[in-house]
Amino acid sequence: MENLGSLAVLLAFCLGVYAFLGSLIGGWKNKPYLVASAERSVLAIWFLLTVASAILVTALLTSDFRLAYVAAHSNRAMPTLYKFAAWWGGQEGSLLFWSWLLACYNAVVVLTNRRKHRRIMPYVTAILVATQVFFLILNAFVASPFRVLAVGREVTAVPDGRGLNPLLQYWAMALHPPTLYLGFVGFVVPYAFAMASLITREPGDAWIHTTRRWTLVTWLFQSCGILLGAGWAYAVLGWGGYWAWDPVENASLLPWLTATAFLHSVMMQEKKGMMKVWNMVLVAATFWLCIFGTFLTRSGVVSSVHAFAQSPIGMYFVVFLAIIFAVSVYLILDRLDYLKSEARLESVISRESSFLFNNLILVASCFAVLWGTLFPVISEAFTGEKISVGPPFFNRVNIPIGLFLLFLTGVGPLFAWRRTSLESLKRNFLWPSVAGLSLIAVLVALGVRHFYALVCFGLCLFVAWTIVAEFYKGSRAIRARTGQNWLAAAVELTHRNTRRYGGYIVHMGIVLMFIGFAGAAFNKHATVEVRMGDTFRIGRYDLRVLDLREGDNENYSWQHAVIEVRQDGRPVGTLEPERRFYKASEQPTSEVAIRRRLNEDLYLNYAGLSNEDPSKAVIQAYVFPLVSWIWIGSATLIFGCLICLIPSKTRREYPRTQVVGVVERYAAVEK
Amino acid sequence: MRRWKSSALIVVLAAAALSQTASQLQSDAVRRVGAHLACLCGACKNTVADCPMLECHFAKPARVRIAALQAQGKSDSEIIALFVAEHGKQVLAVPPAEGFNLLAWTMPFVAIAAGLALVWHFIQRFRKPPSVAAGQEDTLLRYREEIEKDLARLD
Repeated sequence: MENLGSLAVLLAFCLGVYAFLGSLIGGWKNKPYLVASAERSVLAIWFLLTVASAILVTALLTSDFRLAYVAAHSNRAMPTLYKFAAWWGGQEGSLLFWSWLLACYNAVVVLTNRRKHRRIMPYVTAILVATQVFFLILNAFVASPFRVLAVGREVTAVPDGRGLNPLLQYWAMALHPPTLYLGFVGFVVPYAFAMASLITREPGDAWIHTTRRWTLVTWLFQSCGILLGAGWAYAVLGWGGYWAWDPVENASLLPWLTATAFLHSVMMQEKKGMMKVWNMVLVAATFWLCIFGTFLTRSGVVSSVHAFAQSPIGMYFVVFLAIIFAVSVYLILDRLDYLKSEARLESVISRESSFLFNNLILVASCFAVLWGTLFPVISEAFTGEKISVGPPFFNRVNIPIGLFLLFLTGVGPLFAWRRTSLESLKRNFLWPSVAGLSLIAVLVALGVRHFYALVCFGLCLFVAWTIVAEFYKGSRAIRARTGQNWLAAAVELTHRNTRRYGGYIVHMGIVLMFIGFAGAAFNKHATVEVRMGDTFRIGRYDLRVLDLREGDNENYSWQHAVIEVRQDGRPVGTLEPERRFYKASEQPTSEVAIRRRLNEDLYLNYAGLSNEDPSKAVIQAYVFPLVSWIWIGSATLIFGCLICLIPSKTRREYPRTQVVGVVERYAAVEK
Repeated sequence: MRRWKSSALIVVLAAAALSQTASQLQSDAVRRVGAHLACLCGACKNTVADCPMLECHFAKPARVRIAALQAQGKSDSEIIALFVAEHGKQVLAVPPAEGFNLLAWTMPFVAIAAGLALVWHFIQRFRKPPSVAAGQEDTLLRYREEIEKDLARLD
């Protein structure tokens, strides 16, 4: 079977090369049959990769330990879900998974555009397939998941595999890589359309309209992926953090930031025909960062420049990244004439310029994260000295940037297009500002002294107020006309312009998440060693260890502490944090117990028995204020993004000034 | 004052018994110094103060050492300097603001400043009406391209 898998990957590679050349030549020499055949090859590649993936998944599910990949990432006792998730649990499998997802996207693009965009489609196909070929090179020649274990010339199987890393055996972790990959891989589609429109010198905005939805969908997946990762880290790693500025986490954040910038600046192009060059740059940068992120996670370059040399796939990625960079830069510079802006900026205080600032700040924070992530490598290369860039660096640099972004979230959408009068500024911002400042004053009076937290809470209320006011004003107008109740009016309002009001809901999600982030300024932590029956205190909680229990199953053995919780002296139940020891991988993990509430989470980690005194249990207790709001905000963000994807009830056409018309008028004046 | 006293007490306790458990080494004074030091265990990117692994082979001895040095009356900066002498600058949680490493701190803000300048330039340029000559070229180019495209369709 594994031979069939390898063969399928190899065939897919050959077809990929054919499809690339076929669609390029077909597009260039105008040969529709060649183009059609290249497009069918894309479908065939999808079929072949589906077969290859099915073979790998079957091997994982049936515990075929002749395969090196299966032996390294699965074991018999693992639950079926995680056997399946082992597909993306290791290097080779996850690269095949990448390839397969890309093939799915490519097939969908080809199928949905059979009759549309015929002029640019050959080049779209060529770019999609070029990316596919790159990953197929890795799948077929560098990191094949179908390698078998052998002694001499004899294929052998090990009795049991090493199992999936126990930290990954958690539901969110089974979902996190696929969603993130869907987001990463998906950005190839907007990129392909953007570059194809440059290649064909199609000055129109066809690519923007086609890829708008794609971009939103991939952005949604990226967001879900990042948030699931944060949720996983919070619930599994046992230290209560959801974000540690780890290079791998940063790698997922970078394209998200540029994609967010693109989602905003694309509106400028749609409505005003401006910022065309910039949008091209953002699309190219986002795609480049998606591949770059995969490179960071897969090559180990960030741990040290030397680790990079050890990983065989690193060099392939560097070459591919260089090609993307060269092609994008060449195309954009060569076609600058076709990307002229169609409108003028009329005022500094306008929606247009607020978009410029929003983009600037998003891209700047992307740069700051990228810079911090790569600085150890850069420094080592230039000075030969190893240095660390830890979380304090990222926090110090990114917190002010993030807060300014939050401010823009509130201000930007209320600026009118073209120009904003002072009168309307006062009308829109007076009450939100008063509310935000009053909140800060109240918090200071209550004894809160953390500067950034105060600013953050004030801004959160400011932005939330502006958003609610927008809904209120719109719904009131609809109510006045139709007499519907408030809820129905708000739904009607949203349905009329889903992208605008969905966008507001996404902003609301961001506000809620910032409330949660600010809560981190007030975290409490205690590590204690206690005997059975002992009581200790953290924040408002008195905790007493009632019992220690242990047990065993096929996959792991476990021990957990039963801890009685009293809040302000009142009993509120028990928590049971657990320590597990996975047999196949011989690794311990923590199953923390969390009492989630809107105001604060009580988070307990049972870290095992004390080394010094085995009659004592080591408990790490944390209180995390407001952290639930991050997850509520996440859900709101996802909901808002889904709303944006629903077509609006009223179709919107944006009248635009044609450059031709403007020039003629000026020419007439000249005479 | 009371807080100072209690942390001083913990330091004395820590010094008295270096076999103290991890939990007692989480004092405010130790955490304050530990927050400046990177945990070099290789598994995490945390600081010595925040490393959550109880038996971490780097953070745990580092905390014991910090407590011991504090008991000897060493100041925060002296302790940090000792760690740097031993492990190199890598042990600092953030790059020191000197020499080449200044770039780490300045570049993000230089980038924002450069971006602002660019945005300003963009705003200035786009507030002016287009020049006629450039506009005409533009128009011609557009028409020529339109014609070429139509011709291509005829083929």
